[in-house]
Amino acid sequence: MKKCLLLFLLALSLLGASAQDQTVRGKVTDEYGKPLAGATVTIKGTNLTTTTDEKGNFQLNTGNSIKPVFTISFVGYESFDYTYKGKSGFSVQLHQDAKTLGDVIVVGYGVQRKRDVTGATSEVKAEQIVKKPIVRVEEALQGTVPGVTVQSVNGMPGAGLAVRIRGTASINNNNDPLYVIDGQIGGDISTISPNDIESIEVLKDASATAIYGSRGSTGVVIITTKLGKEGKARIDINPWVKKEEIAKELPIMNAYQFAIATNAQYATTGQPAAFTAAQIQTFQTTDKGTNWQKAIQDKPWVQNYQISVSGGSNDLKYIVSYLHLDQPGLILNQWFRTDIARANFLIKASDRLSLQFNLTGSLPHNRNTQYQGDITDPFAEAYAWDPTSPIKDANGNFILESQYAALGINPVAQETNGLNDNSSTNIEASGILTYRIIKGLTFTSNNSYSNTSNTNRQFYGPGTSTYLASPSNGYALVDNSTGHGFQNSNYFTYKGVWGDHELTVTALYEQSMGTSYNNQSRSANLSTYGLGYWNLGLGAVQTTTSGSAPGYSSQALQSYMGRVEYKFKDKYLLNGTIRDDGTSVLTQKYSVFPSAAVGWIVSKENFLAGSQTISFLKLRASYGVTGNQTVGPYSTIPTVGVGGVENATGYPYNGNLSPVSVYTPLSTVPSTSLKWERNNQTDVGIDAALLHGVISFTADYYYRKVTDLLYNRTAPEYDGGGNVQVNLGSLYNKGFEFDLGATPVSTRNFKWTTNGILSINRNKLLTLNGLDNVITNNIGSAQTGASILKVGMPLGEFYGYKFLGTWKTSEAAQAALYGNIPGDSKYFDVLGTHNINTTDDRIPIGNGAPKYSFSWSNDLSLGNFSLTMLFYGTQGGQIFSGTFPYTYGGLGDARNATNVGILNVWTPTHQTDVPTFSPSSNNTINSSRWVFDGSYIKLKNIALSYHLPQALIGPAVKNLEVYVSGQNLFTITKYPGYDPEVTNMTNGITQGLETGIIPNPRSYTFGIRAGF
Amino acid sequence: MNFKYFLPAVSIVLLLGAACQKLKENPLSSLTPSSYFKTQSDLDASVSAIYTELTPDYAFGFTTRMTSCFGADDLTTDPGLNKGDMRAFDELNGASNNASLFNQWQGPWNAVYQANNVLTNYKTVPTQTPSELLAVNQSIGQAYFLRAFSYYYLVRVFGPIPDITTVLPVSDQPPRDSVSTIYATIVSDLQQAASLLPVSFPGQPGRATSGAARSLLADVYLTMTGWPLNQTSYYAQAAAEADSVITSGTYSLEPDFNTVFTTNNGPESIFALQFNVTAGVPERSYGSSSVPLDESGLDGSGGWDDYYPEINFYLTTPKCYRSYCTYYDTLKLLNTTTKTFTLVPWNSPLTHAGHPYYKKFRHGLVTGGIGDGVNETSSAILSINPSTNKAMDFIRYPMVLLDYAEADDMASGSPSAADYSAFNLVRARAGLPNLTPGLSQTAFRDSVVQERAWEFAGESGMRWFDIVRLQILPQIIAARSSLENPINTSNLLSTRYIAPIPLQDMNNDPKWVQNTGY
Repeated sequence: MKKCLLLFLLALSLLGASAQDQTVRGKVTDEYGKPLAGATVTIKGTNLTTTTDEKGNFQLNTGNSIKPVFTISFVGYESFDYTYKGKSGFSVQLHQDAKTLGDVIVVGYGVQRKRDVTGATSEVKAEQIVKKPIVRVEEALQGTVPGVTVQSVNGMPGAGLAVRIRGTASINNNNDPLYVIDGQIGGDISTISPNDIESIEVLKDASATAIYGSRGSTGVVIITTKLGKEGKARIDINPWVKKEEIAKELPIMNAYQFAIATNAQYATTGQPAAFTAAQIQTFQTTDKGTNWQKAIQDKPWVQNYQISVSGGSNDLKYIVSYLHLDQPGLILNQWFRTDIARANFLIKASDRLSLQFNLTGSLPHNRNTQYQGDITDPFAEAYAWDPTSPIKDANGNFILESQYAALGINPVAQETNGLNDNSSTNIEASGILTYRIIKGLTFTSNNSYSNTSNTNRQFYGPGTSTYLASPSNGYALVDNSTGHGFQNSNYFTYKGVWGDHELTVTALYEQSMGTSYNNQSRSANLSTYGLGYWNLGLGAVQTTTSGSAPGYSSQALQSYMGRVEYKFKDKYLLNGTIRDDGTSVLTQKYSVFPSAAVGWIVSKENFLAGSQTISFLKLRASYGVTGNQTVGPYSTIPTVGVGGVENATGYPYNGNLSPVSVYTPLSTVPSTSLKWERNNQTDVGIDAALLHGVISFTADYYYRKVTDLLYNRTAPEYDGGGNVQVNLGSLYNKGFEFDLGATPVSTRNFKWTTNGILSINRNKLLTLNGLDNVITNNIGSAQTGASILKVGMPLGEFYGYKFLGTWKTSEAAQAALYGNIPGDSKYFDVLGTHNINTTDDRIPIGNGAPKYSFSWSNDLSLGNFSLTMLFYGTQGGQIFSGTFPYTYGGLGDARNATNVGILNVWTPTHQTDVPTFSPSSNNTINSSRWVFDGSYIKLKNIALSYHLPQALIGPAVKNLEVYVSGQNLFTITKYPGYDPEVTNMTNGITQGLETGIIPNPRSYTFGIRAGF
Repeated sequence: MNFKYFLPAVSIVLLLGAACQKLKENPLSSLTPSSYFKTQSDLDASVSAIYTELTPDYAFGFTTRMTSCFGADDLTTDPGLNKGDMRAFDELNGASNNASLFNQWQGPWNAVYQANNVLTNYKTVPTQTPSELLAVNQSIGQAYFLRAFSYYYLVRVFGPIPDITTVLPVSDQPPRDSVSTIYATIVSDLQQAASLLPVSFPGQPGRATSGAARSLLADVYLTMTGWPLNQTSYYAQAAAEADSVITSGTYSLEPDFNTVFTTNNGPESIFALQFNVTAGVPERSYGSSSVPLDESGLDGSGGWDDYYPEINFYLTTPKCYRSYCTYYDTLKLLNTTTKTFTLVPWNSPLTHAGHPYYKKFRHGLVTGGIGDGVNETSSAILSINPSTNKAMDFIRYPMVLLDYAEADDMASGSPSAADYSAFNLVRARAGLPNLTPGLSQTAFRDSVVQERAWEFAGESGMRWFDIVRLQILPQIIAARSSLENPINTSNLLSTRYIAPIPLQDMNNDPKWVQNTGY
């Protein structure tokens, strides 16, 4: 350092000798007067430059300009232009830059230096996001944040991912985290282009999320979108194309095998043979039948084009971007397309005032992406459909039905002929005003407005199951929903430093509201089906209703929040917050959510100051209370229904001689004491950096107890038997999370960084209002009665019979006690009643929640090549398959077996554990036979990119990178289904249930990133 | 902007903002009790909602309304098929998760709930003019009647249940009240209904009348004299109420017994639920439900084999015009190839169940000689429909006559001439000779009870509830044929008189204790 200073002085003296103009001296400090060492001082329009010394002082020869402008910049601070007023020895204050400071993270209503953060937070930066060809923001979180489980639960195009921060905290409400987009709370992440994101912060513990009060209990994800950088306009393009395919198919019989198995089934159940020997011969030789799994599939090319123009000056920064995505599905006639445009501007209106405007619009469209997993979905019908039936007849018409696939309809016909289309328009605009009132005191007002509209059009005419059931059922419908919302957040931030004390105080007033409108027109029994859904006047029966949602729905929130951050001697940290949320949807309007946290930067203490091993060490602890506000509007208001008009039936006072009367039943009266779920969370954590950052380590332990769990339950019949939300009980999640990063090799040409994340979570129900258990009936899943809530057990517990294989011939006498014969399914008789029934013999038979999830990522760069890969997996979760029972046939559900497993069926001479055919549903009832280990490890992503050398591409191109990557290239799992990652999961109790969900694609991507 | 203006400006913005953000909810697209009940038509529609809760399949519109009553000798069901729910009670082995039993719970409770809505909220409807007052009184009179009607059914099936007479929020967890508390509510409701309701609603026979209220009250009093209350002091009141209905002259016996089951709202119908197939409110215990599985119509429709009488019940019924109309004992078996029918007796080995069936529930509403249930001739079945327009009689005039005969006999120590004459009216219409004169008090009572069994065979558990109040299950079992579904003898017989509380609502409240034996 001293040598540098000498050289510097020498250089100055040389300059001074040659120039006749003045040397100006000045001092650069931060806004509290602390000197900033190493700030760059440049005279605008020249290359005269210097840096400040340790006391923040500089001196610089001004060249020949008369009124030179000094541009003073420093990493993490807003650069500042100082026009020389002719007086040397001036002092310049730089203000911290909220956004660009690498060391600073967004914490909600402000920023904090990363090292001063006392809560458990994690961060994903733009550089990490752009490495993966992702279409959904959630994908950026998969495997990159400890404590966060991200599961791509459905492989349909445009489908969202299930994000769980520190386990599942709510029974049948949404467990997704709260998304805050540029300060807009509860934003819709599907309207964000991943490329527009500057950073994602994940707030995990209650001290971090309590500032969002009643909405913070499932964790908070703060997304900050990009702004241009100072400098010339820059154009970035990032096109990629991706080939997708289904990685694995179920082992389904061919026509020949199916014919033999069906004959065996009919023989067992006493029916005449279905296929003649001659037919079977044909299936073996000439007519191979139809592979329905293949017939329903598509192997699409996904295209994604992103372009952005960004730039700015000291006073104005901007970015304008546009994205087009075209994503066909893995099955026929299914797609998702969207266009997203964004314009962000930051204007520094004056020294004190800055204004930011963000405007984004998106136009998502999709077709046939409504499948949530059900045996009647075309994808699910495909693996259970008769392989001996051709898709079309000789005239090219679909063969709609098959005697050997008794339910439903030819899945290819259904998928081709049925239309369920959505087109939406989403517009969001926000304006952020920041005004520096006096030194240290800032006022910010963040105002956002959003407007959404969606039109759902459906058409089920000839060639669909609806029409097949009865031609008068054919219908077309148009469902319109629109909504708008606004949010107004106003807060003062005061920051002061007194000696060793540093204090930041934030005070917030915030209000928000949202309103939605809905209406639907439905036209059935159309006179002609040639016009699709475009002429609803053609229907013999026409109905207009509010459709899928109430005709009008509105809710509002009004909040106050205060936060104090205190720091002593730069190493002792204290943070306290309190939020008071007033909501329209509860009877008791206001609830208070407090939190507190402490931190200690141990590495700043003298005993570690000189350590060569420990470069940074921080211990932190926090406690806080947050809420989950997934209670809909009017949930505490009883309503009076209206029936006896249109389709609804009333009472005919004179029997068949009179029409029905209008009738107005009272709905079940909800509880007026309905409360938010309250999440009380304790967290202790450690952040460490060793060997000057070669190794970094973060670990957290947390215990979160959720009380007043909301549960949507059927009211007692004496209360009208309606579905109402009640506060039911309590549960806890506790766990550890570890994040270990290292840069084992870092040379000029070769760098390797690696990161491992492990998240362990345990979940347990503590109380259920005095009940021992609640058997959940078909909530958000196709599998009826497959889950149970039981005190002392985790959420997501499967419920059913324990499958013990088959009754063997030697057990015939015992089997007879149950009315069974050898070959039948054998279930565990819990109470020993010799009668397997639903009250006595169902027990918990597995759990869908993973015990831990982990990821391992690697970045290697060698010269201009770089290779990244991400492994991701979960362990300990099970899957209750609703898919497999339907491939094993049985007359009870009127289907024929298609699974090759049936070739191994029990026979007196071949006594296996695959039960013999049954005319009842005894083989397909909910049992442990269909519960599988759902653990898996996936290579989620691997990408190889080549950065073209600057010499090759010329000065016009700033950078050019080409890359290839693969997603889900391999999966290690014992699960025999399509994909262990997909489930019917919509909430805490349906975790791990799976029926006919489209798997995640395996894909290969080719892309270019270029900047001009 | 200058600082000194800035703060006040911000404060004003904040205050304005705070003032315009309302947290009070206003569900514009839904009616709420606080915005409803403004006019008589609001009240009418709310009363209709009570009736509407009783008509569906999952209430009283289908055979499952009698599930718990299959222990009686007038009801049994197929030994196999999907009749497990009713068979369980036939074998005196019902359980709380019985899905059909749930219908017996759901329908009447939902009706009680809607009645409570009317009786809690009607007061905002104007009653300024005499005609307004009359209309309101008639509305709430129906609500009182329907609440009592539903409670009477619930308390006889399930025993102790909560006594709820107002709309409760779901957060309240009412305890199970004593049977006597429920009866007190029922009596009070029926007395209110009797005083508020008119003698008839012209053109609207489906509405409850004062006669219906009095008739039901007589039956309630009679039931209160038996198990479990055993308050014999109510015999006199039962007789008095029944007598008031008889002497009013409003009702008379339909001369032809068969007409009762093929027409709607005849002279002896005192309270009947109304159905209308085309309007989507079908009655479904007439038609297919009572038709043997062995029978098919020429159009391919088949019988459901849900319910039929036990063999010895049929065999001991005296042969008369009524028994001819009641039982179906010659089955018509379709030969599918020749499209002809073979007539076989009920105990023919060609039938799968070897049981007689009910004829009176086959045809449904007969118009121009064609039933909307089973459409048949003496030798052929054209079609068997499961949905009929037949009004379902819950109170027929013979019930009042027999209630009177039994109650007056028991109240006064021996049967009077009036008791005999009421009884013999029913027998005469059935085609039976007059009852032996000079019977003792109990012999007369037993004859009445036996007559009720034959008169109301298969009708909504009338027989079962007599068995319950008189505690005669051992005798019923003793008379049972060995060909019937086997009774589960491991259950204590004294626990079989009431059904278990359905599991779903038992689970709603951990403080509830299940009925003994379940």
